[in-house]
Amino acid sequence: MRLSKRVLTAAIAVTTVALAAPAAMAPANAKTTVKVGLAFDIGGRGDKSFNDSAYAGLVKAQKLLKVVTKTVSATAGGAATEREDKLRLLAQAGYNPIIAVGFLYADSVKKVATEFPKTRFAIIDDASIALPNVSSLVFAEEQGSYLAGVAAAKASKSGKIGYIGGVRIPLLQKFEAGFVAGVKATRKSATVDVKYVSEPPDFTGFADPAKAKVIAKGMTDAGADVIYSAAGGSGKGNFENATEASAAGKPVWTIGVDSDQYLTASAAEKKHMLTSMVKHVDVAVFDMISAFVKGKKVADNLGVGAGITGRRYNLKNNGVGLATSGGYLKKLKIAAAVNAAAAKIKTGVIKVPTVPAA
Amino acid sequence: MKSRSMRWSAYGILGVLVFSLVRAITGSSDLTSVGTFNAALLLAIPIALAGLGGLFSERAGVVNIGLEGMMVMGTWAAGFWGYQRGPWMGIVMAVIFGTIAAAVHAVATISFGVDHVVSGVAINLIAPGIVRYLSVIVYQDSNIPGAGPTQSPSVQSIGSNGLPFLSGGHVLGWQSPDLLGSIGAKGWFFISDISRILRGLTGDVSYVTMLCLLLFPLSWYLLWRTKFGLRLRSAGEAPVAAESLGVNVYRVKYIGVLISGALAGLAGGFLAIVASSNYQEGQTGGRGFIGLAAMLFGNWRPGGLLMGSALFGFSDALQLRASDAVHSALLVIAIGFAVYAVAQWRQGRRVGGAVTLALGLGVFALFTYVKELPGPFVTMTPYVTTLVVLSLATQRLRMPAKDGVPYRKGGDS
Repeated sequence: MRLSKRVLTAAIAVTTVALAAPAAMAPANAKTTVKVGLAFDIGGRGDKSFNDSAYAGLVKAQKLLKVVTKTVSATAGGAATEREDKLRLLAQAGYNPIIAVGFLYADSVKKVATEFPKTRFAIIDDASIALPNVSSLVFAEEQGSYLAGVAAAKASKSGKIGYIGGVRIPLLQKFEAGFVAGVKATRKSATVDVKYVSEPPDFTGFADPAKAKVIAKGMTDAGADVIYSAAGGSGKGNFENATEASAAGKPVWTIGVDSDQYLTASAAEKKHMLTSMVKHVDVAVFDMISAFVKGKKVADNLGVGAGITGRRYNLKNNGVGLATSGGYLKKLKIAAAVNAAAAKIKTGVIKVPTVPAA
Repeated sequence: MKSRSMRWSAYGILGVLVFSLVRAITGSSDLTSVGTFNAALLLAIPIALAGLGGLFSERAGVVNIGLEGMMVMGTWAAGFWGYQRGPWMGIVMAVIFGTIAAAVHAVATISFGVDHVVSGVAINLIAPGIVRYLSVIVYQDSNIPGAGPTQSPSVQSIGSNGLPFLSGGHVLGWQSPDLLGSIGAKGWFFISDISRILRGLTGDVSYVTMLCLLLFPLSWYLLWRTKFGLRLRSAGEAPVAAESLGVNVYRVKYIGVLISGALAGLAGGFLAIVASSNYQEGQTGGRGFIGLAAMLFGNWRPGGLLMGSALFGFSDALQLRASDAVHSALLVIAIGFAVYAVAQWRQGRRVGGAVTLALGLGVFALFTYVKELPGPFVTMTPYVTTLVVLSLATQRLRMPAKDGVPYRKGGDS
């Protein structure tokens, strides 16, 4: 094949546009020089969930503690090096402490924290880094999920309950373990159908509402009438199935996750949203900053390995819990059972498992 | 022609018979349930549409790796306009956005002669960035509940219908009887099974799904029975010869690539509005690539790619709905292998037949001795099934002769 005389050479310069969230800069305060850097998980500010909760904590710190803040954001499908670069940029600019939101940052935090031993780092949802300058802020999702399980068992008429996890990773198996334990403790005969949207390393399960809807429909067809979805953006498929199933005469309750999803649900979805298992990321973020401002460290021994310190947020310190928006827990008269279970967990009478029973 | 269609119907009936048999033996009702086939349709259509998009482009001689990116554009447009102006407008805008992305691909590959794969990959990289950028602008600081940089608010449902009298469809607001549904509920061996399958495929189907299904025979007719189709295919097989006969090859290629983008955009719109109810960042999840693969294995034919997508959609529905049904499906696969082995043996391919039989026995052993398949294996079923079946079914693939080869007017091949 011969090319024609005039060869057109077209240079396509693919510039990857770094879509960093606009920096939120507060006016510098003369008294304090604390500059807080916060790196958002995929999704960034405005996800009305995980990241927005972290942002709420940051804003609270900005107001009450008069700290200067800067935020950066990870892009979906972005390489690990990109997250690393963003953290490094913050550290080089003198931001201290730096808070990374989400377990995806684990490797990047580990690297950058080694490079900047004098900077304080915090990572949310991960407890794998054994460095003195890293605080791991983790949540006892199993405790909140246990309560969700209690509520589900009480609300269910058929005794068939569903759990949809985003991706089968240990973090989400914690939700599963707590939820199943809560259901079983409340109603022995009840069964929980457990399904994950995808298997690691395929993380599309957090953003595939279409598949989650098929799963939820399958559960409803098999008789389930309460379905808990811990699957990020895929959870929408669960809510939509409940709307459709209920319209077809098969009422289904849904349970949301991470934030109070009742607040962001559509009017039709709200009618079937029993509650949400809330993780108070804002509490953790504010805690971390306020300790730093006071010259302290958030460095409890987490008991998951030598040198891994930080804090576990559970029912006791108001780190996790069930949302009450919609008031269905009260209307169905299950709030009392939930509160009783919460009290027992707080006092240690009930020990909630963190790994699903084989 | 007649004997061919009869042979296919025989295959179909035999297949359903095997499924009902396995269903009766194992008790996995999801193998032939209404819900499974309804879900299979929902899961298959986005893949099949992307594949059909690839078909138009590649038949015109332009490799389209960028289907995924075009789908992404479609999902975003569907979420934004679907929320603002209703679901139908969302679908229309999804098609338009897909076409815009395809126009970039067309200009780069046809006019500038850029390598087709490079341009396609560029579209796949840029599209997610563009939609994130747009989302940040329109959703980030809005107070619409449920809107954010990674997702759009909910889009209204588009409405569905079924065949009147057979599948309980409604005609002008009148609910017709559901014949297949009531037979399906009876529990008669085979007859109820086949009724449930048909009910799943013809009842409670979205209007968009019906339109999408119509596109397949339509595409076949357009490409193989019209002048335009002949010209488009000639641009992929022998562009220089076509040019010598007065065909404007550039124009034909442009049309092929633009239709390709429109269909990929429609696939995205379907995913966001019919299969779910909002735009969610990353919701395409590689479906564009699976569609492309379905088209390759479907031998660059609409029927073949539709079969591949249907198979994928069915096994995906099965694994998502009931893992125990996947275990039972192993028995179906084992029987399938056995039948294929007999067919090979009778054709005199003794070695091939023996190998197939051994494979069948292996699957049967797996079915007998492993009671519950581990999660990861269940999740990979759709990929494995589709790969195995299609590679057995299509052993002679022939792509358009000049697919992916840059064409210059006046040049020689």
